[in-house]
Amino acid sequence: MDAAGAGWCCEMSDLPPTDEKALAALQERAKELTCLLSVEELLHDTERPLEEVFRGVIEAIPPGWQHPELCRTRITYEGHDWQSPDFIESPWGQCARILVQERAVGSICVHYIAEPPVAEDGPFLEGEVRLVSTIADRLGNYLRQRSLERLLLEFSRDEARESERRLAAWRGGLELVRQTDQNLYIRLARKMVNFLCWSGVREAQDLVERHAGGDNGDVEGLDNYPCRKLSLAPDFYRGTEPFELASRYLGDDEIFSRIQRWMFEDRAKFLVKVLESQQSSLGEIADALRRYQQLVPEDSSLSRATLEAMKASLINRFLTEQLEFIKVAKQHVDVGAFLDLLDRMIFPATSHGKLGGKSAGLFLATQILRRAAASLPGGAEIKTPRSWYIASDALLAFMEFNDLDDVIQHKYKEIDQVRLEYPHLVQLYKNARFPPELAKGLSVALDDFGDRPLIVRSSSLLEDRLGTAFSGKYKSLFLANQGTKQQRLDALLDAVAEIYASVFGPDPIEYRRDRGLLDFQEEMGVLIQEVVGTRLGRYFLPAFAGVAFSRNEFRWSPRIRREDGLIRLVPGLGTRAVDRVSDDFPVLLAPGQPRLRANASVDETVRYSPKRIDVINLETNAFETLELPDLLAECGADYPALAQVFSVVRDDRLHKPVGLLLDPSREQLAATFEGLISDSPFVSRLHAMLRQLEQSLGTPVDVEFASDGRDFYLLQCRPQSHAEDSVASAIPKDVPRDQVLFTARRYVSNGFVPDITHVVYVDPRRYAELEDQQEMVAVGRAVGKLNKLLPKRQFVLIGPGRWGSRGDIKLGVSVGYSDINNTAVLIEVARRKGNYVPELSFGTHFFQDLVESSIRYLPLYPDDEGILFNERFLLGAPNVLAEVLPEHATLADVLRVIDVPAATGGNILRVLMNADLDEAIALLAEPGAREPGRATTELAVRRGEDDHWRWRYQMAEHIAAELDPVRFGVVAVYVFGSTKNATAGPGSDIDLLVHVRGGDVRREALVNWLDGWSLCLAEMNYRRCGYRTDRLLDVHIITDDDIARRDSFAIKIGAITDAARPLQLGGRVAAPIP
Amino acid sequence: MAGKSAFNPYDMARAQFDKVADLLDLDPGTRELLRTPLREYAFGIPVRMDDGKVKVFRGFRVQHNDARGPTKGGIRFHPQETADTVRALAMWMTWKCAVVDIPLGGGKGGVICDPHNLSPREQEGICRGWIRQLAKDVGPLVDVPAPDVMTNAQHMLWMLDEFEAIHGAKYPGFITGKPVGMGGSLGRTEATGYGLVFTLREALKELGIRPDQTCASVQGFGNVSQYAIELYGQLGGKVVCVACWDQADQTSYSFRKASGISLEELRSITDRFGGIDKGKARERGYEVLPGEAWLTQEVDILMPCALENQVTGDNASGIHKRVRVLAEGANGPTTPDADQVLKARNVFVIPDFLANAGGVTCSYFEQVQSNMNYFWEKDEVLGKLDVKMTSAFLAVSELARRKKLFMRDAAYVIAVNRVAQACKDRGWV
Repeated sequence: MDAAGAGWCCEMSDLPPTDEKALAALQERAKELTCLLSVEELLHDTERPLEEVFRGVIEAIPPGWQHPELCRTRITYEGHDWQSPDFIESPWGQCARILVQERAVGSICVHYIAEPPVAEDGPFLEGEVRLVSTIADRLGNYLRQRSLERLLLEFSRDEARESERRLAAWRGGLELVRQTDQNLYIRLARKMVNFLCWSGVREAQDLVERHAGGDNGDVEGLDNYPCRKLSLAPDFYRGTEPFELASRYLGDDEIFSRIQRWMFEDRAKFLVKVLESQQSSLGEIADALRRYQQLVPEDSSLSRATLEAMKASLINRFLTEQLEFIKVAKQHVDVGAFLDLLDRMIFPATSHGKLGGKSAGLFLATQILRRAAASLPGGAEIKTPRSWYIASDALLAFMEFNDLDDVIQHKYKEIDQVRLEYPHLVQLYKNARFPPELAKGLSVALDDFGDRPLIVRSSSLLEDRLGTAFSGKYKSLFLANQGTKQQRLDALLDAVAEIYASVFGPDPIEYRRDRGLLDFQEEMGVLIQEVVGTRLGRYFLPAFAGVAFSRNEFRWSPRIRREDGLIRLVPGLGTRAVDRVSDDFPVLLAPGQPRLRANASVDETVRYSPKRIDVINLETNAFETLELPDLLAECGADYPALAQVFSVVRDDRLHKPVGLLLDPSREQLAATFEGLISDSPFVSRLHAMLRQLEQSLGTPVDVEFASDGRDFYLLQCRPQSHAEDSVASAIPKDVPRDQVLFTARRYVSNGFVPDITHVVYVDPRRYAELEDQQEMVAVGRAVGKLNKLLPKRQFVLIGPGRWGSRGDIKLGVSVGYSDINNTAVLIEVARRKGNYVPELSFGTHFFQDLVESSIRYLPLYPDDEGILFNERFLLGAPNVLAEVLPEHATLADVLRVIDVPAATGGNILRVLMNADLDEAIALLAEPGAREPGRATTELAVRRGEDDHWRWRYQMAEHIAAELDPVRFGVVAVYVFGSTKNATAGPGSDIDLLVHVRGGDVRREALVNWLDGWSLCLAEMNYRRCGYRTDRLLDVHIITDDDIARRDSFAIKIGAITDAARPLQLGGRVAAPIP
Repeated sequence: MAGKSAFNPYDMARAQFDKVADLLDLDPGTRELLRTPLREYAFGIPVRMDDGKVKVFRGFRVQHNDARGPTKGGIRFHPQETADTVRALAMWMTWKCAVVDIPLGGGKGGVICDPHNLSPREQEGICRGWIRQLAKDVGPLVDVPAPDVMTNAQHMLWMLDEFEAIHGAKYPGFITGKPVGMGGSLGRTEATGYGLVFTLREALKELGIRPDQTCASVQGFGNVSQYAIELYGQLGGKVVCVACWDQADQTSYSFRKASGISLEELRSITDRFGGIDKGKARERGYEVLPGEAWLTQEVDILMPCALENQVTGDNASGIHKRVRVLAEGANGPTTPDADQVLKARNVFVIPDFLANAGGVTCSYFEQVQSNMNYFWEKDEVLGKLDVKMTSAFLAVSELARRKKLFMRDAAYVIAVNRVAQACKDRGWV
């Protein structure tokens, strides 16, 4: 694995011509390499006795030379000689000095014992001359490293002993450092002096000043004048004085551990330097990282600050520049992990590229889970598929290599032109050549993968960022990866080229244009993953795969909470779970409530079980969708984890398959995952994993996973994305009552349905009064017809109880899915009947159909407190049923069809749904003005931002609690506005509503008292976030009269939307005014 | 509650009964007895939920009339179950058992719950709790439950297990709808479809039509329809059109082949829910027509075997004049408006609760076999089914002819009459 690093995929680009001489030269190069490798191997081990190492090197050298039989070697080190048995100093020799810390400590000489055949440029080849000095260099490094290692060993050995002996330890160690590495010693001394100064040791400060020379003026200088420079004589640090001083103030233990840490840090310094420099390429970083890994085996030996800085730089260079991501990621990654990453990274020689969103997300998730493995059930068993990465700027290298640079402008063309030209562009890319370094890198990757099927996925820098759901906009391509190496490589290159071309596809470009991301220079990383799965007959497929969300947006039961999550599970490749497929269904599960299934009866379970399966056909090298029964008939008996994935359907029952007796070719099987769900820890583990990831990343996540039937693989992890129509809408406040059609505060999912032109309303009261069952049936039939007539996805259905009720159709309009499949929102109204509120269906009669076609479901409870239900509009607006469906005009009492623009003078209906707040509102609004709902969507409330309102809210509570109601004549205090609505920013004020019932004197006292608070809070706020305001409170004082007249701010009390919230007042809660 | 005039299934069942009672000229006492259930149980079922909390569900059992034998009827799990719905259904069960002349009364039960919101373990708790509350008032010789809306064989096995645990013995005859091998009966899958054709065969005989000279159009391609087509084919009849639901297109299609459809061929391209693959059907020479086309075919026989309310006042006029028999395989496929059209057109209707009584008859056979703990071969089950269905049909049609009644009314009359007679014989009224 290691050898496959990018370091050497960039070098061997020029193959020599194939004449004989060149062949000989090539053979010589090979010999030299072998020789160097054997030397490297010897030097790998710093524990080996020195003599043994030298002897080994002496033996390793001759085979690397042109005439091994004549070749003899001698090594001299610190006055001692080691040599080949019959070494003689002949005239045909070459020598190189061995340097440690720039001091010559010995030499290495290679001689031929007899005259070699005559050659053009002397007895030795050019390469051989280089080789001797290379070996000498390596030996020098090795010896240096060895002595340092010794030193550290001394230190750590001593650490184990009793503390009184540490004195000797650090002194001895330091002395050794002073002798062998002056520069290091000076740095240690300087750090010690600095440390002592910072620790407030006066003597150390004096020392510094004494040795600085010059007068003892004020070192701090004036505010606006550069302070005086203290030039320190380096000689000072060469002496022992700093440490003598330290030993007077610090314990031996502390000195010891400080010196030890500084030494480690000193060794890591080069890495920090490389990382900090914007100039260093990925290749340089890779080299530095490898060296670092050898020198500093454990991250823990460095200070937290150094480590954090290193991690932040590494993340910044490899993963992303987004500060938000870096902040989270640096808590979870180890420096060493990047090295593993680098071993499988392909990049151009001078690359400054990154991995891209998809790869970064998976990398981070893997690190989080690895760290949590101990506490996470099954955490240690979570695997990730073998992956290779192409750095993002390889795309630019590719384009440059093929002179495709002008394609960049492509994205600024009109979208229809982009669409028109795209197919040509794809072909252009596919016919382009790859820069040799990339082609070689991919070839190495392919050797690593073998002939396992692969998936080549785009990993764009824009994709999967926090806040931008770019999913599915770029391509993912499956490769069967069968055939000869050349065929497989060609297919892989082809796929990468296609992925590259997809950057300039019309969909991503349109999407980027919409989001203002067009000018962002698009670099595209590529992630090449082994496909998880096993061979089944002529196919390759995982036993099952799917996606899981840490938040459930599709609750089919009121008992399921959002945080119970959601899993979409399919047999075979996960493509069918990721995308909604109109003709098939994944199995839905809430991992927090695995027993509450979306489908309750056998029939439903079978009907909504997956019927097709995506596989890779290894014979035709193609991605295929098969009918599940066909696959099972062909090779069902060998299906991986058969008993976990399938249930037997027999006698209208679902049976768990029992062992050997199952014959998939004869039984009817349904993919229910019953065995997996109820007999394996899969669900609980996945749930724990989702929770862990959500907690660590600080945001809801979605993951893709697959299993080959034995192991669980994580394929992708990113912040939970939403389809565009299912983002959380901001719920506007203070909407005039007559513009609201309804509000909802229970079981709300996310959604934004902007342009509804028609409302179909089945009046619950009238429907309940229908005498004849035939009339109820007719209502259902009329709804079915309206469904075909009204503009698709631009009308909503509002009806009583359970839509699609079977049997007892009194409980809800009898419709099938085909009767409602064009609606935008399906709304069920639960009106209180006597003392109970009927249960709603939650769309269960066709729940999965709704999910797969993105039809929103919303339950309304008009009789709940604080809920608005504009029955006046629903019953009062003109009913156009008779015009639309003359044959059902008789139903006009029950069934109302409202043409919203006609009824409202041009307005449309807009439904805004927000699951985070568990609130929804339907507004009559001007068409096109989308912004109020769109403004703050997705991840609207982030941690840093929500501090502002929280602090304000706490302050408001505090003020109310401190307020003496008797002294100030206060009846109640309310908070409203941004503080109450959790939208306050750093500059927001705190809106208070104070209900008073007292004379002017008391009122004036109150105003003064509150003003004091206001000033004080303004100052506090300034200190918190640097935002300067004179006052922070916005106090509105109201009286009984105001309330009676519902004047000014008094209407906020008990208001329908955005009502002011009463606060605990000096020991009691304000009673809302009736 | 809703307005007084709102649709109420119990009111509707009683109105229907009153109509028949008038025809029979029943005495007030008997009317009063048959209009209302004999016994009603309502009780709470405490269940420990998965989250550790206890929830109490409301359970019901209505035993409408047991003059002719132990009551029999399903148990429904429904979130908005009402006592009146259960009463109406129990009454209908009494008539249904009586029309095929099996020695059982009518019952119905349920629990107010939504299985969509319940884990299997919680559902098991409800099933066992239901039995614990009623263990003394139900039983193979008293009241025999069966699966119904949102309950299935699994629920029945939980209930049976609880019942047997309480009574300390094996009583497989306590419940029906059990899987084969666990006390279930063979022939259950075929029973309704075969039963339908047994009655159809007798109807044709009566009308003097040879089955091998008829052709038919069928709506639905599920269990009932497929076995009906199978047996009808064995009688020599030819099905030329089948309509079924297309899940992908969310609409239904009619598949027509003038030379006669091949059951095996269509079965091979049909999913479990009776959806025929229309592409493959075209390849095999079937015409694919709109879903309603089945009704207007030039055939002798129509068999609606899909949903309720399919033949309506609106579309009944489109029925071809050649049609002689309409055999109702589904429940309530014909609306009262359509009945008027059919009467006027002199189409012979085999009413649903006679025509599809093969199912309940087979349940009765399951109970009989379970009580004996001896299980028949499938042929024996189907042979006995033929006997039952044939004699039931003959009795109804004889009455219809004799009293000049519409078949639907005749079936009701005979059923109510049998129950009234049993009550009188027992000296109750």
